[in-house]
Amino acid sequence: MSDTEIRIVNLHARCEEKEILKGVNLEINPGEVHALMGPNGSGKSTLSNVIMGHPSYEVTGGEIWFKGRNILELEPDERARLGLFLAFQYPIAIPGVSVAKFLKSSSDAILGDQRKSAGEFLKELRENLKFLEMNEAFLNRFLNDGFSGGEKKRMEILQMLMLKPSFAVMDETDSGLDIDALRVVSKGVNRLTGPAFSLLVITHYERILQYIKPDHLHVLIDGKVVMSGGPELVKELEEKGYDWIRQQFGQEVLV
Amino acid sequence: MTPLATQHEPAALNPAAFQDILVSTATTTLKEKRQAAFNAFSALPWPTLRDEEWRRTDPASLPLDRFHSLPVLEPVASADEHELDALFDVVVSVHESGYSIRDRSGAGSRITVQSLADAARDHHEAVSRYLHGPALIEENRKFTELNGAFWNFGLFIRIPANLEVENGVLVRYRITRPYSLLIPKLVVVAESGSRANVVEVFHSEDDCPVFTVSARELYVEQAARLQVFSLQEWGRTSFHVGEDWGHVERDAQIDWVTLTLGSQVSKSTMGCNVSAPNANAYLSGLFFADRDQHVDQRTLQQHASPHTYSNLLYKGAVKDQGHSVYQGIIAAKPGAIDVDAYQMNNNLVLNSGAKADSLPGLKIDADDLKCSHGSTMGNLDPDQLFYLQSRGFSNAEARRTLVLAFFEEIIAKIPYAFMQDRVRADVNRKI
Repeated sequence: MSDTEIRIVNLHARCEEKEILKGVNLEINPGEVHALMGPNGSGKSTLSNVIMGHPSYEVTGGEIWFKGRNILELEPDERARLGLFLAFQYPIAIPGVSVAKFLKSSSDAILGDQRKSAGEFLKELRENLKFLEMNEAFLNRFLNDGFSGGEKKRMEILQMLMLKPSFAVMDETDSGLDIDALRVVSKGVNRLTGPAFSLLVITHYERILQYIKPDHLHVLIDGKVVMSGGPELVKELEEKGYDWIRQQFGQEVLV
Repeated sequence: MTPLATQHEPAALNPAAFQDILVSTATTTLKEKRQAAFNAFSALPWPTLRDEEWRRTDPASLPLDRFHSLPVLEPVASADEHELDALFDVVVSVHESGYSIRDRSGAGSRITVQSLADAARDHHEAVSRYLHGPALIEENRKFTELNGAFWNFGLFIRIPANLEVENGVLVRYRITRPYSLLIPKLVVVAESGSRANVVEVFHSEDDCPVFTVSARELYVEQAARLQVFSLQEWGRTSFHVGEDWGHVERDAQIDWVTLTLGSQVSKSTMGCNVSAPNANAYLSGLFFADRDQHVDQRTLQQHASPHTYSNLLYKGAVKDQGHSVYQGIIAAKPGAIDVDAYQMNNNLVLNSGAKADSLPGLKIDADDLKCSHGSTMGNLDPDQLFYLQSRGFSNAEARRTLVLAFFEEIIAKIPYAFMQDRVRADVNRKI
């Protein structure tokens, strides 16, 4: 394989008999930030769930290569241990599991012996909490239980910072965030960006792309990537505005 | 196995056996109470599958006739010291060879923790009033009367008015003689304004069959608060029948947590009467039936007075061929206005061979009350599983985490870390 971080080839997937992904192709190199935009129902969330291995989605064709392996046969936890991370659009609440305990178990499972001690873990956790402007009281709360939308999204980014993936998918992390929360979330993400980290930002809105600058942009419509471009497309988009894409692909493209 | 209904009384429970027990009973009060219970016991038929209460637990699955009643237990020198003893003021240890009562903190000089025989001598009036007393709000119960006639270990705990006991009383049962029939009776009286905790732990090994017919009467008098935690971890070849009654007076509160993890068959009834204005009952249960275990629990929240509150939450899991039954009743007497009564039973069914029956119910003769009841049934949430797996938890670890999380709501009510850890470990072994 090449040194491509993630390569999606002609991916087809369905959920409950409905075909949603109809041949998605996407390549992301180490260190790159890609943005994926598209209208509701185009398959953006399906793509992120399939990348992570959600059992409700059936892959009917194609491949997903990650670090030189076709990961479609791997369990979600195996994918996570390879360095894959999904920031969920709707992070689920798990009453009965405290944030601290969850993060420790998760960190132990994914990073294993890379971390030296519980003390070191806690130090890093506190530092990241502070960076994301979160209160330490979060640690004793049950995971996402009674959290506001913004708190849930920060919690996703906190996990991302703690688990240090090499490739992350952010599934509409910006949806429903106010400008302050968006700024904090973006600050967290930008802390990770660098040559050893690549990112796919899935979004409805151009707003987040003011904070997290993509190198490439893709437009997904009806289960297919219909338009891709490098920095020049991003720049074109900035100059011409999103109306330009609307004109290219119809009013429904960007909501 | 022969159904209980069609066989002769087990030898341990025949009139001759009763005469032996009566002869060894010293005080008149206890003799009379035993005799009255025996008369009622003899007059009552054994329950059958036709009785509503026993429809889902075949009485024939309780092989009482294979067990031999322990003699009425006598005091023995303090036996083993357990690491958890240090957390309590008074520790009662019960074995097949006898019982010991140790006052660890000096609190024993202020509260009464005595065998029923001693208490009947020293606190005659109280025992006379409370033993087989007003807490028993249902009559004609075969196993209540069985216990009343044949109890072979009796304990009386009384917390005097306005005394707050810091650490509480631990009663631990450990039976190591196979085929023992243990019939314990516990009477707790928290006098007005007092505050105390009572913890019970029942334990035997898997290869030591024990049959227990247990009965409790818990009295929480005016403005008192009593917390009771019962951990049933009998071995897998054991049988447990429980008949438990609580009576809560004006401005008083009971917190009652029942943890049922052991035994092959467990059948219990728990009734709590919030009997006077501003009486409060918080009733919690945790149960887990795996392999061939069968757990049947019936609860009764009785609102005998206006302005009373009860809140019940029973959470259970079943796995393998495990079977659980929950039957709940909220009963409000005529005139019981401004009553809040809640009842919830949540069940996790972890595989298709396992079964949970849930029958919440109401029996309301009053018309001004807030009342809700319900139950849920289902396997683990696939989205929660996926979330955990996406964070590196293996499927097995994610399942384990979610089952423990399901029970955490109940476990968190236990104010002792050792007991929390022990319950988590028990649950963990079953997952």
